[in-house]
Amino acid sequence: MDSLFVFREKLQEVYAKHSRIFDKVLQFIVAIVTFYLINDNVGFMKIASSPAVTLALAVICTFFPMNITIIAATALILAHMFAVSLGVLAVTALVFLVMYIFYFRLTPKMAFVVLITPIAFMFKIPYVIPLVYGLISVPVSLIAVSCGTIVYYMMQYVKKAAPGLEGKGKDGFMTQISAYVKQVFQNKEMWVVIAAFIICLLLVYTIRRQSADHAWKIAIVIGAVINVVIIAAGDVAIGVHTSYTSLIVGNIAAVVVGLILELFFFSVDYARSENLQYEDDEYYYYVKAIPKLSVASPEKTVKRINERQETEIIDTDEVRRKSRRGGKVPKGRELREVKKAKNAKGGAVPKKRTEPQSGPSVKKHDIDEVNKMLLTQGLKQDLDLKG
Amino acid sequence: MLDENRVKLMTRLALYEQTEGKEDFKISEYYKSDYIGMHVICSVLWVTVGYVCVGVLVVLAGLEDLMAKMSMGLLVTLLIGAVAGYLVTVIIFGIVTSHVYNKKHQNARQRVKLFNHDLIKLLKLYEKEKN
Repeated sequence: MDSLFVFREKLQEVYAKHSRIFDKVLQFIVAIVTFYLINDNVGFMKIASSPAVTLALAVICTFFPMNITIIAATALILAHMFAVSLGVLAVTALVFLVMYIFYFRLTPKMAFVVLITPIAFMFKIPYVIPLVYGLISVPVSLIAVSCGTIVYYMMQYVKKAAPGLEGKGKDGFMTQISAYVKQVFQNKEMWVVIAAFIICLLLVYTIRRQSADHAWKIAIVIGAVINVVIIAAGDVAIGVHTSYTSLIVGNIAAVVVGLILELFFFSVDYARSENLQYEDDEYYYYVKAIPKLSVASPEKTVKRINERQETEIIDTDEVRRKSRRGGKVPKGRELREVKKAKNAKGGAVPKKRTEPQSGPSVKKHDIDEVNKMLLTQGLKQDLDLKG
Repeated sequence: MLDENRVKLMTRLALYEQTEGKEDFKISEYYKSDYIGMHVICSVLWVTVGYVCVGVLVVLAGLEDLMAKMSMGLLVTLLIGAVAGYLVTVIIFGIVTSHVYNKKHQNARQRVKLFNHDLIKLLKLYEKEKN
């Protein structure tokens, strides 16, 4: 567990150091995934759905605020809808307009949820969204999650029914619009999913704010269970066909994501929690204080023992020769002369000790071993003397 | 001579001025009542447009049923329902908008006050250095 916290600290350190780069990379990934998924699902306009356009849009959006990505995604969807038919475009534009008027005008930051919800649906992990927003956001975000769900089902319907909606001409315009609206808003599966998401988000939010021990973990598990129960109930009661495998796998993924979020946003040590009670003139206070868990990432310092030191090898013959020739020479000068002589010799005396190459290494003695040897030698000498 | 406290203060001021400050200064130019009133009026207009859009979507979704069951009584009932729905929506959104923008104005004013406070502190630091 400690290693996890150390990993978290390191990750936070790395992010703090390079947050600008990380943010931009993340924005680029979100943009390219969004545009790719839109083009892959409803790419009816050939020019707009080309990989070059997708990449170009993603690159452009990376250098602007997140809201630009949302606007570009909306425009891309509308362009594809236009390629299907004018009626589909009108209805889709109307739905987006209603979303903007009633909600995103007041909380523009929540528009990101609308973007991320269909992405989660396409990755088959939609259950992550209500759980995550229940854990880290406020209940109002359920409107954004619901809008995102509507956008996804709208795209799904267009994807399936596009051949039927295309080329009906002016006569079938109203019928076309009517059928589209009807199909989108009378989709039982969509409403069951929205209901499950709303209940899940509210429950998760309520439970995780409780002072009970392990509130986050309880909230995560209950949220996932509620998702499964409501969607299964919808399957039984209304006849909504759901794949149970994807339902369960999706919710397991949601639990895993929830636990990761807990590690980053709410890691506390319940074992050291304190319950305090005190009062003032007006109130009695019952306070539960839970210490946060934080592990300082260990800093590795490399201490070098027996560091290799450069030693100078003196050519003893040369020194003797010089001392004989010049008589007495001052000590410093003598050394300088020795050095000069070495330089003159060139390769004869190595300037620097070369690094050992691979092969049999020289036997090394550690201090204890040397001491032992000296002691034995001393004892031998003593014994010889005595003998 | 570089003063560490002054540099810190100036950084904080510049950071605010270039991020949240831009919008906050615009907001704090208005009286609270004017600011809220302006946005409530805007909101009512937007909600009217949105309500019409929703109405159109609802009518489109139930167009066939509506045409099949069309009568004067049904039409009047629908009209009354639509008007009542509109009034309720406008009132709810008026309240929500006034609450949201009241909070926004309050927060912006608070931040601008802090900014001014820091500005005065900075001036005092300069004066201290001159003397």
